[in-house]
Amino acid sequence: MRINKQPPPQTTPRRSDEPIWWSLFSAGGVCVAMLVPAIALLVLLGIPLGLVSAEQLSYQRLHALVFHPLGLGVVLAVIVLPLFHAMHRIHHGLHDLQLAHGRLAKWLCYGSAVLLSSLALSLWLTSG
Amino acid sequence: MPTTEIRLQRYRPEQDNAPHWQDFRVEYDDSTSVLDALEQIKAEQDSSVSYRWSCRMAICGSCGVMVDGVPKLGCKTFLRDYPKGLTLAPLSHFPIEKDLIVDMSRFLAHLSAIKPYLIAEAAPKGKPYRQTPAQLARYKQFSNCINCGLCYSACPQFGLKPDFLGPAAIALAHRYNLDSRDQGKSERMAQLNSDNGVWGCTFVGYCSTVCPKGVDPAAAVNQGKIASTLDGVIQWFKPGKETSK
Repeated sequence: MRINKQPPPQTTPRRSDEPIWWSLFSAGGVCVAMLVPAIALLVLLGIPLGLVSAEQLSYQRLHALVFHPLGLGVVLAVIVLPLFHAMHRIHHGLHDLQLAHGRLAKWLCYGSAVLLSSLALSLWLTSG
Repeated sequence: MPTTEIRLQRYRPEQDNAPHWQDFRVEYDDSTSVLDALEQIKAEQDSSVSYRWSCRMAICGSCGVMVDGVPKLGCKTFLRDYPKGLTLAPLSHFPIEKDLIVDMSRFLAHLSAIKPYLIAEAAPKGKPYRQTPAQLARYKQFSNCINCGLCYSACPQFGLKPDFLGPAAIALAHRYNLDSRDQGKSERMAQLNSDNGVWGCTFVGYCSTVCPKGVDPAAAVNQGKIASTLDGVIQWFKPGKETSK
C-alpha cells in the first residue's frame, strides 16, 4: 500500500525532451508502416508469383538506388528513422515492464540509435 | 429471487493489518446494480461495510470500484451480468481509506493543477459567448468527464509513476485548450509539456476502455502530444519567452 504522501505537482515543471524522441518515433513509425508491407508484398508474393522479376531487386540495382544522391532518403526511411522508432519502443517497454528506467536506459536506447544511424550515414557518405 | 456470491475486500486501517476478503450472499434481479447489492449488504448483513456513493445514475462519479479487477461504476454495473458471482475491491492505484473507499486527493491535486475551467475575459455586456457547432464539436466529447477516477485505476503509468497527471486531468486540460472561448492554454501547457504531463503516457489506451461516459482520454493525451510538440517548436523560435507560469 502506498503511503499517502502527496506533494502538489510542481508549479513550473521542466519541459520534457520527449517531443524530440517522440517525433523521431512517429516519423519512423510512418516509414515502417508504409515500407514493411510493401517490401513483404514484393519479396514474399511478388517474386514467388512471378509478378516481379528477381532481377528488379538485384544487388547492383539496390546498390545504385541507395548510393544515388537521392538515396539519402532511402537510408533515412529504411534505417535511421525505424531505428529511432524501435529504440523508443524498447525504452518505454523497459519502463512499462519495470525492467529499467532512468538515464542509463535512455542513454543506451537512444545512444545506440544515434550510433547505428551515424554508422549508416557515414557508410553512405564514404562508400558511394 | 436468485442469489449470488459477492467477495468483498475489507480493510479497516485501525483494526486490520492488511486487506482481507469477506463473502456475502445477496438477492438480485435484472435491475440490481452492484451499488444496490452493497446497500443490501450494509442494511441487512454488515453495517460496517463502507463505500462511497451519491447519485445512483452514473453522473456523480462517486461509486467507482474494481469489479473482478476491472474499474467500474457500481451504479452502472449489474449483477445479472455476473451469474457466477463477483469480487469487489477499492479502485487500484489509490491509497485505501476504508473498505471500498479510496483517497483521491492525488487525482484532485492533478486536476486542479491543469486549471480545468474557462479562463476568459467576461463576455461583452451580458451577452453570451457565441460558439458555432463546429467549435463545440472540437471539445464536446472530452467534456463528458465526471471525475470518477476509473481511468486512473486503469492507467498502468499512474500506477508506476503517481506523479503522472493522468488521463482525466490531461483530457480536461485538452478540453479547455480546444474551447474557442478559452484563453488559458499558455497557463496549462507547462504542466502538459513536462515528463509527468502528456509525455508520461505510453498509449496503453485502457483509460478509454473503462471510461463510463465514453470519453476517449487516450485520444486527448495523444492529441496533447502533438500540441506539446508544436508548443515546443514555437518556443524554440521565441527564445526567452518560455510560457511556464
